[in-house]
Amino acid sequence: MGSYIGRQLLTIIPTVLLSIVVNFALLHAAPGDPARIYAGMDTATEEQIAAMREDLGLDDPLLVQFVNYVEQLLHGNLGMSLAFRQPVYDLIMERLPATLLLTVTSAVIAFVCGTLLGAVAARKQDSATDIGLSFLNYVFFSIPAFWLGLLLILVFASKLGWFPTSGMRTARADYTGLRDWLDVAHHMVLPSMTLILVQVPIFYRITRSSVAQQQREDYVTTFRATGIPEGRIFRRYALRNAILPTVTVFGLNLGYVVTGAALVEIIFAWPGIGRLALDAVYKRDYPLLLGVYLMLAVSISLAILLTDVVYALLDPRIRLR
Amino acid sequence: MGTPLTANSVLVEAPPLAERSRSKVGAVWKTFLSSRYGPIGLTLLLIVLIPAILAPLLAPADPFDLGAKPFLHPGADGHPLGTDHLGRDVLSQILYGARISLLVGLVAAGIAAVIGLVVGSVSGFFGGWIDIVLSRVTDMFLIIPTFFLIIIVVATLGNGIIYVMVLIGLTSWPGNARLMRAQALTLRERTFVQALNALGEGKLRILMRHIIPNGIQPVIANSTLLIAAGVLTEAALSFLGLGDANKASWGRMIYEGRTSILTAWWPSIFPGIAMIITVMAFYLIGDGLAYVLSPKSRRAGG
Repeated sequence: MGSYIGRQLLTIIPTVLLSIVVNFALLHAAPGDPARIYAGMDTATEEQIAAMREDLGLDDPLLVQFVNYVEQLLHGNLGMSLAFRQPVYDLIMERLPATLLLTVTSAVIAFVCGTLLGAVAARKQDSATDIGLSFLNYVFFSIPAFWLGLLLILVFASKLGWFPTSGMRTARADYTGLRDWLDVAHHMVLPSMTLILVQVPIFYRITRSSVAQQQREDYVTTFRATGIPEGRIFRRYALRNAILPTVTVFGLNLGYVVTGAALVEIIFAWPGIGRLALDAVYKRDYPLLLGVYLMLAVSISLAILLTDVVYALLDPRIRLR
Repeated sequence: MGTPLTANSVLVEAPPLAERSRSKVGAVWKTFLSSRYGPIGLTLLLIVLIPAILAPLLAPADPFDLGAKPFLHPGADGHPLGTDHLGRDVLSQILYGARISLLVGLVAAGIAAVIGLVVGSVSGFFGGWIDIVLSRVTDMFLIIPTFFLIIIVVATLGNGIIYVMVLIGLTSWPGNARLMRAQALTLRERTFVQALNALGEGKLRILMRHIIPNGIQPVIANSTLLIAAGVLTEAALSFLGLGDANKASWGRMIYEGRTSILTAWWPSIFPGIAMIITVMAFYLIGDGLAYVLSPKSRRAGG
């Protein structure tokens, strides 16, 4: 198990390093020199910029700069945001809980729903249920999350008035305790619904094909021949084996969730990382933008590592290999 | 053995791919049409493609013409789908937007196909340390949050349509590479490749003339999915105001219509429907092609 995790880390570390290199390169490729960017764009005087150059070590050779950059990162220093005038690290940590709440909730619910629906469809292949579910799956697979969010606002917030149109809490209500939780939950229904609906097809698709494949395996035929009831074969054996690939997809899907969540956060004015990143795009706040990107790359890598470990725990064959 | 054994005489026994495939095209086409989703996808694609090609003939107005009143209801005043907040005809914008969406999807998927084919086939065919390095790089690209990378690069370097297409292509090839690598791994053990090797045929020549053409099918099926993904990515970028500002785009229509969606839904809802049809067309075609390649259909169709 230890060596297995070790091998996985060998893939993760270069990926994180690559992200850092890309980040570093982009910081230097951004229009204007980094000193001007860090000193505050156009408002900085020449002396300030010169001081900043010195301060940031921009006159050093590129390799020295890169080593310094990595050292800074290891201390959790992602630079200062230009637009917010705060450390990037603090800004990210402040927004992280809202994004995690939205993405993790929707990913887990989508995982459960998609897997169940996929199993149902595979169990009754080519039935009306299967064809109907598969058709819906194609439709929701094709819907852009941001457009679906708008549609849900239009119908459930504007026309029916069931849910608030945007935000995470009712403004100026200052609820506390349980009331506050319920308020957040109420605000969360539409954005998480959007993310769930676009993610369900991913899990549906993989589960359906994986269960269908398991049911064609020789061991299932053997079980049938020995007279084990069909339902029992399905629940105890075929489904369990078929779940494995969906776990991997859950990990790979996380990158997609964060992306989708960013757009959905904008539509619903949800105060998370995605919205922070896009604010940074509009304000050309490069340190903030790159900080968010690096944070995403690292956390997605870690999430994938974690799912790989879970996978190995579920499937002993992988550990033995 | 009267004549000297050459690479060509080996190939006479195993007919060249071009000839075999020509006789096979009919069978493939028949299997595709017999799949459940292929024909539906093809129909949907034609529904999008033909109007996109004929856009100048079909569009009721110039997509950038500000002549009409803003927020005209669908059907009013010669505007079948109404007008937007600047008085531009929604239908005309959708028709011209289809050209951009399809162009971006096709070019991006094309770039991803070329990179994926080269990386995957070299990786699988040569093996050894080349394979290890290329596979690691592929895995890395599979993990990085590509959409954010595209956002950052477009925000730093500029948002011309060329940038957008190339960037989407440069970040979406890893799936292709994995598929092609698997193909190359099996193909290199096949007798005809072994024979070519034994005859001293150049490695590069074998790769380009035999490995890639014989292993390309799964990459083609995957490419249709990448076209769909490219269409969605371009729309998402445009929705963020990061698309090409000089081109009609479905994403930007939704972006511009979103602030007034509660009073006028049509400028942002119609382009979304057009997008769903387009994306779904490619997903369905992709699954139709996957069916053609699956052993299930081979047993049925031959």
